[in-house]
Amino acid sequence: MGFIKYDIEKYSPKQLVIIPLVILVIALILLALNMASTGMPVTPGIDFSGGTAVTVFSSDTRDQIQATFSEYPLIGISEGVNDGKFLKFSSMDDAKFKSLTSLITQKYPDAKIDQIGESFGKTLQYQALVALLFSFIGMAIVIFLAFRTFVPAVAVILSAFADMVMTAAAMNIVGIPLSLGTVAALLMLIGYSVDSDILLTNRVLKRQGKLNEKLAGAFNTGITMTTTTLAATIALFLVSWFGSVQILMEISAVLLIGLVFDILNTWLTNAGILKWYAQKGGVK
Amino acid sequence: MNTSALKALVSDWRVAMLIILVILSVVAIFPHYDQNGNMVSNIQYGLDLQQGSWLQLEFRAEVVGFTTDRSLEEFITDLSKKLDTEVILVDPTHLEIRKYYSQEALEPIFTAAGGKINTYQQGVSKSTAEDVKRILENKINTLGTKDAKVNTLTGMNNIARYIRVELAGVDMKQAQEIVGKQGKFEIRVQTVGNQSEHVLFGDAITSVENPSQVPAGSDHWGVGFTLSDSGATAFRNGAIKYGATVDPANHYLVMLLDNNTVYSAPLSEDLAGKLQAGDIRKLYASTGMGKAGTQQATTLEIHLRAGALPVDVTIAGSGGVSAPLGERYKTMALLAGIFALITVGFVIYFRYREPSIVLPMVLINASEIVILLGIISLIKFQLDLPTIAGLIAVVGTGIDQLVVITDEILHEGKVPSPNLYLKRLSRALGIIVVAAATVVIAMLPLALMDLSTLKGFAIITILGVLIGVLVTRPAYGKIIMQILSK
Repeated sequence: MGFIKYDIEKYSPKQLVIIPLVILVIALILLALNMASTGMPVTPGIDFSGGTAVTVFSSDTRDQIQATFSEYPLIGISEGVNDGKFLKFSSMDDAKFKSLTSLITQKYPDAKIDQIGESFGKTLQYQALVALLFSFIGMAIVIFLAFRTFVPAVAVILSAFADMVMTAAAMNIVGIPLSLGTVAALLMLIGYSVDSDILLTNRVLKRQGKLNEKLAGAFNTGITMTTTTLAATIALFLVSWFGSVQILMEISAVLLIGLVFDILNTWLTNAGILKWYAQKGGVK
Repeated sequence: MNTSALKALVSDWRVAMLIILVILSVVAIFPHYDQNGNMVSNIQYGLDLQQGSWLQLEFRAEVVGFTTDRSLEEFITDLSKKLDTEVILVDPTHLEIRKYYSQEALEPIFTAAGGKINTYQQGVSKSTAEDVKRILENKINTLGTKDAKVNTLTGMNNIARYIRVELAGVDMKQAQEIVGKQGKFEIRVQTVGNQSEHVLFGDAITSVENPSQVPAGSDHWGVGFTLSDSGATAFRNGAIKYGATVDPANHYLVMLLDNNTVYSAPLSEDLAGKLQAGDIRKLYASTGMGKAGTQQATTLEIHLRAGALPVDVTIAGSGGVSAPLGERYKTMALLAGIFALITVGFVIYFRYREPSIVLPMVLINASEIVILLGIISLIKFQLDLPTIAGLIAVVGTGIDQLVVITDEILHEGKVPSPNLYLKRLSRALGIIVVAAATVVIAMLPLALMDLSTLKGFAIITILGVLIGVLVTRPAYGKIIMQILSK
């Protein structure tokens, strides 16, 4: 393809690994800071903290909407394209919520409403964290079984871990909350991120030939893989953005961020460690 | 490629299987025009792609694992009095307490009653959850809602904490009303002919038991229920006043729900005698023997509760989509899918500059989606927004793996001999299997958990990966070989 030249020969393993390592440390610090201030590494959305999300299509201004819902705990209004408005309410009791629903059905009959109670949100959050943890452990086990050599396997797992941490930190910066949709995206990212890592490791460990040539060949294939996935994700993001489909928008945004970090982590972190391992004599 | 090569290709079992699966899927999806000229298919849509509402209710009750030195009966009666609610033995070591108490609040009460709490979990036993499910279904059915689903979410320990109600074609306000609505229950006494007089309303019933056999094991079924003190007085006065105690055979007791008779029977002689003597709070309505008796008892239990649930519930979560918004999401999802395929096609073209590679790739990718939609139609899985995200994720991983195959085979730009080709294909499939295994493992926790909407996403992603590895990738390997060797 040749629109990016991957000159891995020029750099030592240390030089390759240093950039992602610095970003990883910064990301971990950011997550820790967020944890210290909010109690969660990534700010939870309504799915986990409880509350009500409402999507309406209306030309009403912000002030008009605020006036309409003055009696309810409205905590945020964000605007999409095509008059799409996303309203957020904090938790309220059943009676208050029922009266809110009838107000919405009367005022904006075309709305979409999603409400999650506080305790249900806690249950979901706990389950989501368990799911993330188990997914990651499961992935690590598969990788170990597949490669059966310590350093290359750890390199793959480390890159996947870095992908998730960096993406999570970026979500805080961009303001994407942790929701059921974004948890799904993070899980998907585990799958995507090991894709190119597996290809890279496989080529380096199991093929004959010069290390740098193998790395360059793997890069050629791997970058195509990531670009196609990126393309599909960008398509999803654009359509859901124009159509104000919030859940798809969040999923695709997280995937987009994650895939960009994946390029970094595969071709710098993972490739760097593999190069070091090969130079040390780990690859015959 | 000439005709004989094409024939050979189609008759290859991998390719043949792919073609057959695609055809079967199209049949399963069955896209056609209905009598109004609208395009319809067998694909069922989830609540976010059509008008509908869902309510997830949380039980305000708990199941407690316990031990006690006292006799079970004494212990439970004592607890029930102290907790001021029904306490039901689920199995010899577990109790269901039908009122919400935190574990901290329960512990001293258990200690005082001479027991100890071993486990504590909010929720109800599976059988209570099934009762609630039946009551809700009954209520929804009487209102004639077309498309309703009630699911209890039971965990591995057989304790259900949530119950989920999905109502298609109903807005949220209606849904809340349907689930929250109670019927008007009344007991009357027959006077002359089919005339009757009011005795009491449903609010006088303080608790309703599950259907039981009296005497135990006799196959004579019925439902026990308890009246409030004032209710018991009203019942006695009514029975005496209208002659039900002296002439039961001509003065039936009639129960009505929303003015429809749901039960009618004479007082038993035994009860008639007791009522003459004083107020009776605990009553028992027998419904007959055998299967018919059990069924009637179950229905009567629901009627006695007048649609009220045996356990209090709160709304844990709920949501609803209007018809126009559902339509809009459907269009957007379709657009996103098509747009994703096209952009992927462009990227692939940019990379290989060879239509004879790009076309099969995109077609294989599209065939995966068709097969998945076929399976979705066949198993009546509901297509919702997260599932669509899963489908698009499948496009992404799918094309990745086709790239791996293509590059592995085209290694060093030369078209390999059949022998070398097979070696390379199997190496490529090796990479793919590991990648697929990771995706499956990563999605498994989500597919197994009841994490509300994400189950569909996970299941579709796993299915997509499996179809890819088992069907479409091997077929692609064969096709691309034919094309390259021309």
